[in-house]
Amino acid sequence: MRVGTVRHDPRGPGRVRRLVAVALGGALLVAAAVGLGTGPASAAASDTNLTVTMDGSGIDTLNPFLSFYNGALNTFGLIYPSLNSLGKDGVPGPYLAKSWTTSDDKLTWTFTVQDGLKWSDGQPITAEDAAWTFNLIMTNLTAATANGSLVANFASVTAPDATTLVVKTKQPQANMLYVSIPVSGIPIVPKHVWSAHVADLKSYKNETYPVVGYGPWLLQTYQTDQFERFTANKAFRLGSSGAPKFDTLVVQLLKNSDASVAALKNGQVADTSVNAKQFDVLKADTKMTAVQEVGNGWTGLEINGGARTKSGKAIGTGNPLLGDPQVRSAIHWAIDKNKLLTNVLGGKGVVGNGYLPPAYPQWSWKPAAADAVTYDPAKANSILDAAGYTKGADGIRVDPRTGKKLDFRLGIHSDSASDAQISQFLKGWLTDIGISIRIDSLSFAQLNSNLSRADWDMLMDAWTTGPDPTYLLSIQTCGTLPDDTGANGNTDAFYCTPEYDKLFAQQVVTLDATERVKIVAQMQDILYQANYDIILFYGDGLEVYRNDHVSNLLFGPPSSTGLHPAQSVFWNYLDATPPGAASAAPAASSSKTGLVVGGVAVLVVLLAGAFVLRRRSTSDLRG
Amino acid sequence: MTAPTRGRTRAEEPAGEAAAPPRYAALRRFARGYLRRPSGIVGLVMLLAFAVAALVAPSFIHPHDLDVTRASGALMAPPTGAYPLGTDENGRSVLFLVIWGARASLFIGVVATLMTVFIGGTIGLVAGHYQGRVGALLMHVTDWFIVLPSLPLAIALSVVLGQGASSIIIAIAITSWTGTARLVRAQTLAVGARPFIERGRALGASDPQIMVRHVLPSVLPLILVSSILTIGSAILAEATLTFLGLGDPTTVSWGSMLNSAFAQGAVTVGAWWYLLTPGIAILLVVMGFTLTGRAIEHVLDPRMVDRA
Repeated sequence: MRVGTVRHDPRGPGRVRRLVAVALGGALLVAAAVGLGTGPASAAASDTNLTVTMDGSGIDTLNPFLSFYNGALNTFGLIYPSLNSLGKDGVPGPYLAKSWTTSDDKLTWTFTVQDGLKWSDGQPITAEDAAWTFNLIMTNLTAATANGSLVANFASVTAPDATTLVVKTKQPQANMLYVSIPVSGIPIVPKHVWSAHVADLKSYKNETYPVVGYGPWLLQTYQTDQFERFTANKAFRLGSSGAPKFDTLVVQLLKNSDASVAALKNGQVADTSVNAKQFDVLKADTKMTAVQEVGNGWTGLEINGGARTKSGKAIGTGNPLLGDPQVRSAIHWAIDKNKLLTNVLGGKGVVGNGYLPPAYPQWSWKPAAADAVTYDPAKANSILDAAGYTKGADGIRVDPRTGKKLDFRLGIHSDSASDAQISQFLKGWLTDIGISIRIDSLSFAQLNSNLSRADWDMLMDAWTTGPDPTYLLSIQTCGTLPDDTGANGNTDAFYCTPEYDKLFAQQVVTLDATERVKIVAQMQDILYQANYDIILFYGDGLEVYRNDHVSNLLFGPPSSTGLHPAQSVFWNYLDATPPGAASAAPAASSSKTGLVVGGVAVLVVLLAGAFVLRRRSTSDLRG
Repeated sequence: MTAPTRGRTRAEEPAGEAAAPPRYAALRRFARGYLRRPSGIVGLVMLLAFAVAALVAPSFIHPHDLDVTRASGALMAPPTGAYPLGTDENGRSVLFLVIWGARASLFIGVVATLMTVFIGGTIGLVAGHYQGRVGALLMHVTDWFIVLPSLPLAIALSVVLGQGASSIIIAIAITSWTGTARLVRAQTLAVGARPFIERGRALGASDPQIMVRHVLPSVLPLILVSSILTIGSAILAEATLTFLGLGDPTTVSWGSMLNSAFAQGAVTVGAWWYLLTPGIAILLVVMGFTLTGRAIEHVLDPRMVDRA
């Protein structure tokens, strides 16, 4: 759930825990929800257990130095400590560090680390653990994969004693207290466990259970692409918050939105993300609390405008015609973002402009009226006409220089309903301006692997961010390009210009808030003009939980527009409280008939398919 | 004493049929037998209705009606006068989608079946004719494919081959030719034991000649029945694979309609018109092929036909 600067599954309206899509798993889970299956590993009867759904992106790896999927980052926020916490108001507070001071030149930060805290294996947590973690990321290229950009301005990190951590920066750093926060910052790992894994860091999966850590929860097990099971750390204290109120926590990955809703309705999970249509239906259910949160991420169309490695070597199989800024600009003019907002999100979101989402209004940026790109196919056509691309007999434009057609691949997430829906619109709009699109429906992992090797023309992608934009801005810098082998990169769309990089370095060291906002606005302007990422929309977070199974799950009063602040799993699961009474009877709700019909229909299709495929192989035996 | 002549036998044949060329006579006999089976007629009518709808669809469904960027209906709305079967999540008419979807579903079903029958028929014929090592080897390969679980294999294949109609066709063909192969082999063995094959061999006919000129015609009726039954299953397999998200999302087929319906939360919303329409279409077409295939089987198989 929620705050994190991470590539997330864009299946929903730009939302972290959106669960849509149909896949075998999803279909079977619908069947399970209709009564054929059981959930994973329920706790002992006397224990209280909270079962929630995982972010649809799932977990790429439990190694926090490499991971950037939301499912994994949420996990790290629960099981590893960080220097600072991020308060519900979005302001950094104490966590491992109970206090901090800065030198007069703003170059030296001295953190006082809490005394007496212990890792889950009994070893003491000291400043040395934090120093070791930061130093590894600063010196080891592999360890820097996920979060290297956050420590780029660090000069040195030392731990003179067990409770003192000294961070020296090259220049004053504006976002120091956001560098190590739960979920979207750097998690601190136990040195005594991880120092043995530096050599094999690239392949180390961190799957020895229970995972040694410190946080509100302790990870007991993770079944790949199925569920995680945590137990509460009863010794956990943070400010006025005590230990988690539930004894165990199960985070379950459901790949289908209707499966999630079915699981929610019959009480298998207590909380899930939904799409706009489901939200409106569930809002009417008195057992459900439906919460609409302001969007903390974007869903966008990425364009490969000429991928290069760190050394400037061309990489991948991207179509060179997209290197023409006019083609990219025409694509932007051809997209009706308002229509997407209506059709895909049911209006629950904001039309995309700037690179940073509306959850953090201080960073929000809109193009000047003269620069604003709106839906105007005539203008898109005239841009392409002026650039010399003439339409062939089939209506597809041809590049006069190479004789090649404007024919591009569009990679979408095969398990994402919203990607599938958006791709149909893109295909229609781009055909109207003489660009043909071939849709490559790829698995989440395959799409990201193609992305890093630059084997793509256009991609659907989505990211969310925490309140400090440094990380999200960093994935557009030259420093995140891969090396010549295609590895050690975390670039978003292979964007790289010195101008942007200069501003990026500048905003990190600009302490004056107003000044920093100006620089970040300039950076968003550059990205907007570059059209490497066409931001389509920022989807609201649509979260529904069962108020008879859990209370206090979501925090923050709604704003005047009825939107709640973006949520963090760190606080949600910590604050979540079991209901006083025994849990309610399984749900029987208004559209239960629909569920049954749907579940039966899925089963019939699947079974019939399997039966038929099977039948043919045995038909000779039956004569 | 005069030996009975062949002329006498000929004289016993009914005069009417002797007049028509034997081929048309067989066809007429077949038609008469088929018309006596009401279930076969029902199946044929269902198939014809879908085939005609699919063929003439372009005359009354404009591409703009299926273009999401131009759809103007309410989103996932129940049936109304303008949209007799409601709308999908983009405001397109579900009626138009289901008619248009018949084109993809029938096309993939028929082409996949042709491939299935070609692969299965060839292997069955060769394996039945060359009964030595070649036949044994081919049957071992067939057995190997039979024990492979079809659905996971088809899913794996369409992932490897990339998404789209062609890979689904190949996936269906590769996972379902084994039945036809065993069926054809069994029949080839039976035909091969008949005296006229031995006679042909004695007269110096080559193996390919015997297979193509003598065995194949005797096996063809069986292949015809088996392929008509296979089309129904291929359509269902196509729907299954597309439903599982292995198709091209911009191609309208019944499986992809079900896929979108589920993915978009039609179950939660209670959009029965969106879920049931493609489901019933699949049901009717598969039933049509099954009824037709069974009827033909009954007419062609002497053990099943009432010859009175």
